[in-house]
This record gives sequence, C-alpha cells and structure tokens, in this order.
Amino acid sequence: MSLYAIETADLTKVYSSSFGKKKVEALTQLKLNVSKGSIFGLLGPNGAGKTTLIKLLLGIIFPTSGSAKILDEEIANYHVKKRVGYLPENHKYPAYLNGGDVLQFFGKLSELESDYLKKRIDELLELVKLSKWKKTKVKNYSKGMMQRLGLAQALLNDPELIFLDEPTDGVDPIGRKEIRDILLELKTKGKTIFLNSHLLSEVELITDRVGILNKGKLLKEGTVSELTEKKEEYKISVEGDGIDKLSPELLNGLNLAKMQDGYYTLRVADTQELNRILDLLRKNGVVIKEFSQQKNTLEDMFISLIQEAEKENTK
Amino acid sequence: MKNTLIMTWFTLREAMARKVFIAFFIISCIALLIMILVFSLTGTTSIISGFSKSNQNISVHQITSGLELLIVTPLSGLCLLLAIFSSASFVPVMLEKGNIDLLISKPVSRSQLIWGKFWGGILVVFLNITFLVMGAWFIISIKFSHWDFSFLLIIFSITFTFAVLYSLIIFFSVITKGQTVGMMVAYFIFIILSPLLSSGHSEWGAIIQSKLLKSLIDIGYYIIPKTSELMGKITFELAMGKSIGDYQPILTSLAFLILTMGITISIFRKKDF
Repeated sequence: MSLYAIETADLTKVYSSSFGKKKVEALTQLKLNVSKGSIFGLLGPNGAGKTTLIKLLLGIIFPTSGSAKILDEEIANYHVKKRVGYLPENHKYPAYLNGGDVLQFFGKLSELESDYLKKRIDELLELVKLSKWKKTKVKNYSKGMMQRLGLAQALLNDPELIFLDEPTDGVDPIGRKEIRDILLELKTKGKTIFLNSHLLSEVELITDRVGILNKGKLLKEGTVSELTEKKEEYKISVEGDGIDKLSPELLNGLNLAKMQDGYYTLRVADTQELNRILDLLRKNGVVIKEFSQQKNTLEDMFISLIQEAEKENTK
Repeated sequence: MKNTLIMTWFTLREAMARKVFIAFFIISCIALLIMILVFSLTGTTSIISGFSKSNQNISVHQITSGLELLIVTPLSGLCLLLAIFSSASFVPVMLEKGNIDLLISKPVSRSQLIWGKFWGGILVVFLNITFLVMGAWFIISIKFSHWDFSFLLIIFSITFTFAVLYSLIIFFSVITKGQTVGMMVAYFIFIILSPLLSSGHSEWGAIIQSKLLKSLIDIGYYIIPKTSELMGKITFELAMGKSIGDYQPILTSLAFLILTMGITISIFRKKDF
C-alpha cells in the first residue's frame, strides 16, 4: 500500500478545438504525490490547470497521456469514488430539491445505506449549520449556504480523500473560519484533503504542503515554510541607536539597511558571513534585541514565482 | 442497477417539479371530462344504433374499441408531442456544468447515468399515457358494460414509440449538450419523415419511376424508426384485440433504439465534462 493518496505520473491534458486545429495544453507532464492524511493546497492563477487536475483525478475528463492513482487505485476505476468526496467550484443542485433531498440523492448515489444516510444527513447539516434550512428548496439558498451544503455533500460518505475546489468562495469570514476548522478536524481524523484556492492566506493557514501551478506546469512544491523562506535575509532589532553610532568605514561593505519601523535588514551570502557580521556588531557594542530570518508571505512568493515564469515564457 | 433506479426515480421527481405531470394530467382530465359529458348526454342505444347504421355486423366490442381509439389516438399523439417537449431537457440539464461533475464524481458508471435518464423519461410518459388510456377505457367500459382489456395494450405501443424517439433525443443531447436539435429531429421524424416513408414504401412508392429514389425511400424506411406505423396500424390492431400482423416495424424500431442508445453511451463514456 502506497503512502500517497494521490500519485500522478507525467499526467498531461491537451484540449483540442472541434476540428483539432487549436490545441491548449492544460496540464503538462505533471508529477505530483500527495501524502495520506495531509492537507495539500494547489495554487495558481486562473487557467493554470488546477480544476483540470481535479477533474482528471475524478474521471470527469480523460488524460491525453500519463497516468494517475487515487487511494492506490487507477483513476479509471470508478468504484474508488466510494472513498472520495468532491466539492466542485460551481456546483449546481437540482433547484426543485431541498437541502435534505440533495444530500439524500448524492448519498444514495454514493451507495450509503438508508438508516446511516438519514443519521449522516442530520449530522452534516448540523456541522455546516444548515439544520434549519433542511426543508428549504436549494433555489432559495445564498451562495454561502450553497458552499456549506456542497461541503456537507462532499463529506457524506465519510471519504478518505476530499477534493475541494474553492470551498470558501462566497462564504463570509466567520463561515470561512468554520470551514477551516472543519478541514483541520478532518485532518486529525486522518483524511487527506486536496484544496484548490485563490485565497493564499487561507491556504497558508491550513495546508501541510503547497504546489504552485502555472499554465499546466508545476512550478514549485513544498511546505509553506519551505516556500516562503528567504534564505539570505534577516531582520535585526538592536538596543538604542547602536548601529547608527558605528563608523561608516565599519559598516562599509555590509548589506545592512534601516527600515521605517526601526528594524534593520541584513543580507548575507551564507551562514558564515552572518556569524561574522553579528560578531562584528557585538564586538563594537551593539546589543541585539531581536533576530529573525525574513520570510516571504505566500502571496509574495506566489506573485514573484508567477512573474518569473511569465518572463521565462516570453523569452 | 441500483444507481440506475436512483437516477430514474429522481428523473421522475424532476418531471413532477417541472409540472410535466400536472400539464399531462390537466389535458387528460379535460379530455376525460368531455367524454363523460358527451356520454351522459347520449344514450348507449343511440350510440350503438349510430354505429350499426354504417355497418350491420358491428359488435359492441368493435364499437367500444373504435370509440376508445377515436378518443385516445389523437390525444396520445398530442401527449407524445408534449412528452418529447417536456422530456427533451432531462439529459441536457444533467449535463450542465457543476451538475455532471458531481454525478461523475460519485461511484456511478456513466452508462448508469444515461440509462437512469432513459428509464426515467419513459416512466414519466408511461404513467401519463396509462392515466389517459385507462381513464378513457374505464369510462367507455362502464357506459357499455363491456370490459375489453386488450385495449390497454396500446399503453405499451405508445410508450414504445416514445422510447424510440427519446433515444434519439438523448443521443443529440449528449452530442450537443442542448435540447433543441434532438427535439427538432424527433418532431421531424414523428410528424413528417416516418409517415412519408411509410406511405412511400407501401402506397405511392409504386408510382415512382426512378429506381434510385425508390431505393432511397426503402433504405430510409427501414433505417428510420417507424413511429407512424407504431402509433397507427399496430396501435389500432392492439386496440381492436387483433394479433399484430407485421412485427417488422416493432423489430426495426427496437433495433434503432438499441443502436442509438449503444452509440450514445459509447460517446458519453469518452466525453470530457
């Protein structure tokens, strides 16, 4: 049994126009492994191929080449979907059904037993705070309520692997926090969550690993801290005006700059240089109060990565 | 099988929600009420004597069947037109973005989804036709105190005619993801092509000089579902309690249905959504 809930090997999807003249490569030789029991966030601009990847993994579209497995089964085997939950980006439920009926319909299709399903529907509606709306037709639901119902639908079969495409789209900040809490709780139960989102700050808060996708190519993959670390940049706070008092000759050659908030940023080539500079400062009477490695936000990293990739493409 | 039944059941609910049943029910009820009104104003003996004037050897059975046919056939034709109109959107709605994604993400095979919609549509029409035919049969049977159960068999001939056209609607729905083309083709076959080919094959075909045109009419006749004969000759034979004289229209239409559904499912199984 594999350690991974999702494994792709050179997964490629090319969309062709009706007469095959125009081809769009939506996903290019994607190699990605997502560990069981983790939350994986896939980021990327619009049209990067995020939804295409989920659709491929769920058999909604077919790969042009390459292969993929979910929960140790080939994606072509539709029986594996008994163990999978999915919340699509723009899900649509039959307008004539009420919230409870929607869950009943998809629960039946997930081959759940009637007694269990009845109990499960009440449990999940309670979890997503829609119990009061169980008998209301979904055509009267707001966008946020539809997302909550979608999440309940995705969790009906108590899935081992959950795909969520923009799960907090249209949800208010409190609702988002609640959804985040639900996802974190699911993780503690050993579920694997694959999350597509535009909301980088949100992804940063809950994911174990993140992948950045652009124009069908996986640009980077790692933990949030790995991706946001600025290896050569540090932030320093010193007592008083210790550094300002130092002679310009001493500071000459150091990549040290004062910021508006009173902190200094220090850029170094490596750890040895860092230690040499810190020793030099202390030797000259500078008392260091605070010292930390500078970090990018996920957003900074994301934007610079995408911009770099765009530059590469235009070359 | 279970998944097909679930899809069938929810198609039925969709039809109810879209007021398909109510529309059918109202039309059928109006027709049946008119029947009751006419029969209550006309005595049984005057109806029998009216029929006997034109044919001395006519039996009560033939009179009741004739009356039932007279009322039910045009109404069934109308119901079939309505059925095509109302069921044409079942598959396109299923194929809408956000809906089909969810369905395919469940442990359901794509063929089960299509079969579910197929049987659902047929069940809708079957229930409505049953109500109309049984209603007419019941009123006439009470009026003449003559209970002829063979008439009820036309429920199957009408439903089968719909099933053949519905397979075509599903085929075009899968190809175009819309309902218009399927509906247009179904109407064209039902109203124009099938009656034309059927009469061309059996009647006026003999006066055509061109061998090529004759062959084309024959080929078209055997390929295109014979809705005209199914709703006409075969329905008439069943209503009159006669045995079916020629099974060819049923068998070739059934072959058309199977082939169309086979091709539809094969396309649907490979389609990206």
